[in-house]
Amino acid sequence: MRIVIVGGGIVAAYMANALSEQAPEHDVVIVTKEPYPPYDRIHLCALVNQTATIEQIALPLPPKTRVELNSEVTHIDTEAKRVYTASAMISYDVLIIATGSKPRTLFDTRGISNAVTFRSAADSDCIAKCMEGKNVVMMGVGPIGLELLDTLATMNGPAKIYLISRGSHLYDKAMTPEAVALMKRIYEASDPRVEIILEDEIVERKVENGEITRIVLKSRTIDNPFLIFGVGIAPSVDCAKSSVACDRGILVDAHMRTSDPYIYAVGEAAQMPDGYIAGRVKECTLQADAAIASILGREHEGFREFVTIDGLKVGSFLLSDVTSTAYEPGNADNEEIVISSRSENRIDQYILNNEHLVRFIGINSNIDALALKRMMESAQKVDPGYFYANRLISERGKLICSCTGSYEHDLIDLIRENCVEDFAGLKPYSEAGRVCGRCKKDVMQLIADTPVDPAEAAHMRAEREAKAKEAELAKVRERIEKYNRLHPANQLSPENFEEALESFEMSREYNRWVSMVTASMHLHPDYEESVKEAVTQLNKIPIIWLELADCTGNSEGFIKSSHPKVDDLILKYISLDYHELLMAGSGDQSEAVLESVINNDSGNYILIVEGAVPLGLDGKFLRIGPKGETGLELLRRVAAKAAAVMAVGSCAFDGGVVAAEPNPTGAVGVSEALGRKDIINLPGCPVNPINIVGTLLHYIMFDEFPKLDAKNRPEWAYGFRVHDNCERRGHYELGEFVKEWGDEGAKKGWCLFEMGCKGPYADLNCSLVKFNDGTSWPVQAGHGCFACGQGKIAFDLYANHRKLPEKEHE
Amino acid sequence: MNNLKKIVIDPITRIEGHLRIEVEIDENNVVREAWASGQLFRGIETILKGRDPRDAGLIAQRICGVCTNVHYRASISAVEDAYGITIPSNAEIVRNLVTLSLFVQDHIVHYYHLHSLDFVDITAALKADCKMASVESEQWSEHPYRNSLDHLESVQEKLSNFVKAGRLGLFANGYWGHAAYRLTPEQNLIHMNHYLEALRVQREISAAIAIFAGKTPHPQNLVVGGVTSVADILNPQRLNDFMFIIKDVRDFVERAYIPDLKMIVSAYRESIKAGEGRASGNFMCCGGYRFGKDSLLFESGVIHGHNFDEVASFDPSKITEEASRSWYENDAPLSPYEGDTTPFYTDLNPDGTLKSEGKYSWVKAPRYDGDVMEVGPLARMIVGYVKQSPTIRPYVERFMDSAKMELIDFSTSVGRNAARAVEAQICCDYLFDMMSDLIENIKYYDEETWTKYVFESLPKEARGAGIFEVPRGVLSHFVRIEDARIANYQAVVPTTWNASPKDARNVRGAYEEALIGITLADPSAPLEVLRAIHSFDPCLACAVHVIDTKGRELSHYKIMNSCSL
Repeated sequence: MRIVIVGGGIVAAYMANALSEQAPEHDVVIVTKEPYPPYDRIHLCALVNQTATIEQIALPLPPKTRVELNSEVTHIDTEAKRVYTASAMISYDVLIIATGSKPRTLFDTRGISNAVTFRSAADSDCIAKCMEGKNVVMMGVGPIGLELLDTLATMNGPAKIYLISRGSHLYDKAMTPEAVALMKRIYEASDPRVEIILEDEIVERKVENGEITRIVLKSRTIDNPFLIFGVGIAPSVDCAKSSVACDRGILVDAHMRTSDPYIYAVGEAAQMPDGYIAGRVKECTLQADAAIASILGREHEGFREFVTIDGLKVGSFLLSDVTSTAYEPGNADNEEIVISSRSENRIDQYILNNEHLVRFIGINSNIDALALKRMMESAQKVDPGYFYANRLISERGKLICSCTGSYEHDLIDLIRENCVEDFAGLKPYSEAGRVCGRCKKDVMQLIADTPVDPAEAAHMRAEREAKAKEAELAKVRERIEKYNRLHPANQLSPENFEEALESFEMSREYNRWVSMVTASMHLHPDYEESVKEAVTQLNKIPIIWLELADCTGNSEGFIKSSHPKVDDLILKYISLDYHELLMAGSGDQSEAVLESVINNDSGNYILIVEGAVPLGLDGKFLRIGPKGETGLELLRRVAAKAAAVMAVGSCAFDGGVVAAEPNPTGAVGVSEALGRKDIINLPGCPVNPINIVGTLLHYIMFDEFPKLDAKNRPEWAYGFRVHDNCERRGHYELGEFVKEWGDEGAKKGWCLFEMGCKGPYADLNCSLVKFNDGTSWPVQAGHGCFACGQGKIAFDLYANHRKLPEKEHE
Repeated sequence: MNNLKKIVIDPITRIEGHLRIEVEIDENNVVREAWASGQLFRGIETILKGRDPRDAGLIAQRICGVCTNVHYRASISAVEDAYGITIPSNAEIVRNLVTLSLFVQDHIVHYYHLHSLDFVDITAALKADCKMASVESEQWSEHPYRNSLDHLESVQEKLSNFVKAGRLGLFANGYWGHAAYRLTPEQNLIHMNHYLEALRVQREISAAIAIFAGKTPHPQNLVVGGVTSVADILNPQRLNDFMFIIKDVRDFVERAYIPDLKMIVSAYRESIKAGEGRASGNFMCCGGYRFGKDSLLFESGVIHGHNFDEVASFDPSKITEEASRSWYENDAPLSPYEGDTTPFYTDLNPDGTLKSEGKYSWVKAPRYDGDVMEVGPLARMIVGYVKQSPTIRPYVERFMDSAKMELIDFSTSVGRNAARAVEAQICCDYLFDMMSDLIENIKYYDEETWTKYVFESLPKEARGAGIFEVPRGVLSHFVRIEDARIANYQAVVPTTWNASPKDARNVRGAYEEALIGITLADPSAPLEVLRAIHSFDPCLACAVHVIDTKGRELSHYKIMNSCSL
């Protein structure tokens, strides 16, 4: 589809790059009113003092992206899905409005040559060219104004530089008078031309021949001025006003969707449901991520406000600002704690509300801003003593990059350890300086200042790796010991020790399996010993396998397990105590087994559930056992005393095919049925048995389940996109597609994307481990993937041989 | 009648799905009445409604994860039938290779892993004399499967270690030591040896299925018009791999599965002669699976009341379904196409037992010309034998001769397993014939695997059926298409036939009938009931999904002649 982005700012460039990475099949067009392709607005000051050119601050774009310059969108036709500029019409499938904001001025500046705003490359250019010999008057004291003031002070052009505030503050109203005084002092001391005037404003101006020749303030008169406005910004929504719902900005939901289903708004032009409008690069990029996920039909929880860290490095002081989402400027309960040091020109200003830290503004501060951020995020009550005790703590040095949380000393270590000699060389190790770009110069300086030595670097690396490995191995050992401590019933006892050891014959095949499992869990070969130990423990873990509204596909898959072979699996490695498909006893006999495990191994057994849980008809679409318990009742009873619950297959995950439209039995997944968030999900239709065995092993080894993703799926198995590891991916890249079943491409094993393969939407390791002893998998069989592991959505949206219709990407 | 005692067995384990059996026994522990009840309803057919007909296969496949590819195939075939699409020969052959491999896989898993523990006492195997067991094997086969003394000793040791190590896992609380077990310790050991070997064999044949089907369970290789795995079909190494696996599997079937059944027939002859597990003797087959020059693997036909002198031809329009004892609204016997089957759940009794006088199952009661029918390997072997099928009769005769059986003996709990084993042997052999057909095609440059059609120009209204013999019996899927969408979908599956509840005339289903007259040695451990039920190879997820068909015009369904399949 064609995605059109209106606006040529940082957000536009970010989205074009992200879309190209995640879904290269779509066309992206950027429509900007500027004469330049997207550039980094953060570095406008560098254009003013001409330390950089517009090319140098240009943002990289994917080669495929089309950019329409000098094109201001005048009108959007939402019916026909087109945007109009003065000279062109562009159709879209999805439209993204990222027009940012427009600067305010105090009076109409049209036709006046010496009054500008400071927002674009053209503004910078104008300032650089026209201020020569003038008395520069900057109206407004926000961060950008302060930065520009700092820049102008380095230039010879201006005769005088005035910074005028209508109020009594600089930077932000919240700043204490001490801080304002300190900043004023520092600025004015740095350059005799600089003067900061508080509580003043323009009361009169004289205009001759399109030029302001004089302005009159309350306190004085300034002749031959050059005016720069920095009095605030407003969302730029002119082009969208008549097409989508707007308030101050364009109204969007958490996924950045506007009132029109095909139009998104992102960045400073967008207004969230609670009225919030983003202002910083980081927030805008997170909004962009939310929008992209929604456009591509991927799951995303949407944009949420978060604690922000901002920094301003001007001249001789460093300002840092941490703001909680709970911060309200005018709140009467706000209290302040200020710690200041004259000798260091340092002020730490804390704003608290009911014992919670809501904001921190520091000048030349040493405090760990990230620690404060965490404090705000956890919403813990603060001990004011902490602030004093930690005011000088700077073990890791200054916070250089707030976006990545990189401290000076950490970066120096990285630079030395990896022999980083230039900015590009740092990329593999750290994104510092690359997110919003504000600190890029500082990072470059740090690299320049840090000498590197390859021999020392190698030594440092080896030392650190050894340390990390030792620490991890210690952790593994500790966990196995802990497991034995916690599960005394499962210890090997002196009476059965000999026999048990014999039953775990360490055959060659077994060793091979251990190696295989170690590798498929992405553990270092050093872990093999631990895996072996875990395997011997595994035999002692009781397992209950319940079948609910299922088709037994996962059990059938399980008995096809080849690593280990299923006979070894059930005779040696696990104690499969209750499994309706395979167990010897029925009826009363099987019920007795179930009762015995629940009572005697309470808290120790693992429950594996296959199938959905029907909730309709009070759960009576499924009844099990002599008392006619419903599936839900049985599940609740067995899950209550389980050490852990694993939901295997897509039905147990979220209802799967049983919950597909119109979900006749009201089926849900195990997690939803139990109302629990700690269910381990192993979706797939059916799940590959290796994913069950590997997950069990991890549990035994570490006494906890492997790292899970947002859907509680083990990352080691679900952290892959089928598409990314597909054997046919090369053909995709070359544009070699099967166009018809059985055609020449099909005979040659070309890419199945055009035949509706949903590999790009599937998070699973099928392409890595395959099925039935590695024999094949659906893509190898020429059919393509239908993302069966994504749960019920697969059966409503993906189980077909058609490419996703574009409207379903939303 | 007052001293009848009720026994509830739920869950019936070692089957696919959620089945409950209730029986009433008299003072001599003889079963006088029985009820079979499906305890799960999912409504897959409702889910299929309104979808693109080309997508039905991937959803219908999920009806069952055990006989997983047959629903996939029947569904796709029903849509092809509706549109009048004939698939290329290669596609037909590959579909057959996959389906018949499933027969073998399914029969092996069913017998060894789901059923044999009803005949085999694992604990007794520990007492076996391995040397004697090795010699005994020679009695059942000229070339017994893995019967060396060393191997049998290692199997016994493995089992013994497992038992001594503490937890018995799947084998905990079995019916060990039950009076109804008949094998000697040595025979038990031979069986347990094959139980473990069969786990490997079923895994290997699954890999053979995956060669052409991508994976199993739930293969992914079919589309309306053909198959997708053309690259595998044209790859000589893949064809070779497939044949070598089948060769190994055939080896197992001939040297282990068939001899084991001969042993079981001999040891349980008393039970066979008592007719334990015999149902009403009505058998129904739709036949199918062409190969070579017009040869047919299975015959179609209907036999009534064990009358082996007469085989009526099979006519699908004589099928009705009724719900007088099932949890659906309309009680009257109707053509399945006319059935109005909205769920109407009347619950269990307060003590959790079935309401034995009222509705008691999610399974409906299908009838053929008003009669209850049994479907499956037993029906296929008997109909094939009686109709002098050249593919079936020689195998059945050979088995009867060496096991000293009469034809009627197959119609018992033990006999059903013998029929199933013979069928597995037949499938293995004829898989090679079908593979030869495929190789012949490729040899003469026929590489077609898909019949081209333009979906948009296919009729918007159509109807069709896919009717197949599948491991458990006759499977039929019906689809009606309106406005290029599925307007109605219906599957009548083998277990619906066998697990049928009673009908309005109180005639029992096959499971129920098979239980009548069985004597229980120990009513608290009803092993004999399990034996009878398991002999049918129940698959309940398949059986219970029939819902809400409003297609009153469905009697116009053009049912494909089963022989053409």
